[in-house]
Amino acid sequence: MSENLENITICKDCGLVLNKPKVDYKHQFHCPRCNAIVYRFGQDYQVVLLFAITSIILFFPAIFLPLLSLEILELKQTTTLVETLLIFFSNGYTAISILITFIGVITPFCMLILILSILIPLKLGKDARFVSKPLKFYEHLLEWQMAEVYMISIIVSIIKLQKMATLSIGLGFYFFLGFLIMMFLTMSLFNPYDVWNDDELQK
Amino acid sequence: MNYKSDKDLGLVLCSHCSKVSTIDVKICPRCNSKLKQRDEYSLLKTLSFSIIAIIFLVPANLLPMMYVTTLGVIEANTIFDGIVYFFQTKSYLIAFVIFVASIAVPIFKLAVLLYLLYITKYNKIELARNATRYYRIIKFIGKWSMLDIFVVALMIVMVQFENLSNISAGLAAVAFTIVVVMTMLATESFDTRQLWDKD
Repeated sequence: MSENLENITICKDCGLVLNKPKVDYKHQFHCPRCNAIVYRFGQDYQVVLLFAITSIILFFPAIFLPLLSLEILELKQTTTLVETLLIFFSNGYTAISILITFIGVITPFCMLILILSILIPLKLGKDARFVSKPLKFYEHLLEWQMAEVYMISIIVSIIKLQKMATLSIGLGFYFFLGFLIMMFLTMSLFNPYDVWNDDELQK
Repeated sequence: MNYKSDKDLGLVLCSHCSKVSTIDVKICPRCNSKLKQRDEYSLLKTLSFSIIAIIFLVPANLLPMMYVTTLGVIEANTIFDGIVYFFQTKSYLIAFVIFVASIAVPIFKLAVLLYLLYITKYNKIELARNATRYYRIIKFIGKWSMLDIFVVALMIVMVQFENLSNISAGLAAVAFTIVVVMTMLATESFDTRQLWDKD
């Protein structure tokens, strides 16, 4: 091979060998053959960190404040997120509880913690190799996280329920929706490939 | 134009940190990930996941998705019943969202997956550009089919009044979850680079 491996890159989608574009924060680069994004910088780490911390702060009131109360024929039921899930584990709806908890609560929270554990060491001047493991885990979760779908399905199920019962929405619900929206924004602002691009720039 | 792919030049791209190495390097020197130019079982994986999804698509649409008990009367609802219900109560937007998410998207995804497999198998490189575009579309819409499952699960969690009013999940919910997860796995395991490779 006469070409230097440092100066070329390969398109992830079609395997085309390209000259490496000069990394720059303002532009994005597309593959000339299949139009895939070769390079694109996300937001600055500081912005992402701020968003991530905001969503973590929203997380705690969201799970402990009352979510909503339902009323059918004078029977009233008020629930918080934690209570609901605990009741359901003991009632034998284990599969459903696990699904709801994992998609709606555990995965988003894990991803935020992962973002913190990637960005804080980088901010403190650690090497990109140091955060390689959480980064890999984050990329896997990114393909399977469904916060935005979950958000829409909450709204759909509330509209459905309004036809069955009297429903009043509690404070926790707004916090939870806020949490999901903030965490969705955090995900879209943070580009995991930035970590390696930055690493290259520093050398 | 003379395009050269990584296969022609004997190069390999690290899927994790995007470092380029030569084909004889097995572990990425920058991030210690395993390097592989192509996954040789990729097509087989996509095909088998798609077949499982097609099989489960039948019970998912025919069996009841959830049972709604109101004052002791049990009512079974399939996916299609839900759409009809929203249509009758004039929530056209929601009827449309559920129709797209739970009926149109899975079928469209499976059709595209089979089309991609066909193109790859018979080396139709002139179609690769459009096929890559379809792949990006199904990758983007994939998780939206989970919408109906979440709605059912959330309603079960929210409504529990013993005999007065009660919602429980039917077998279709399980079948439908399997369909969605299988199509997502099939999409994951397909590698678009194979569309562009000439053998």
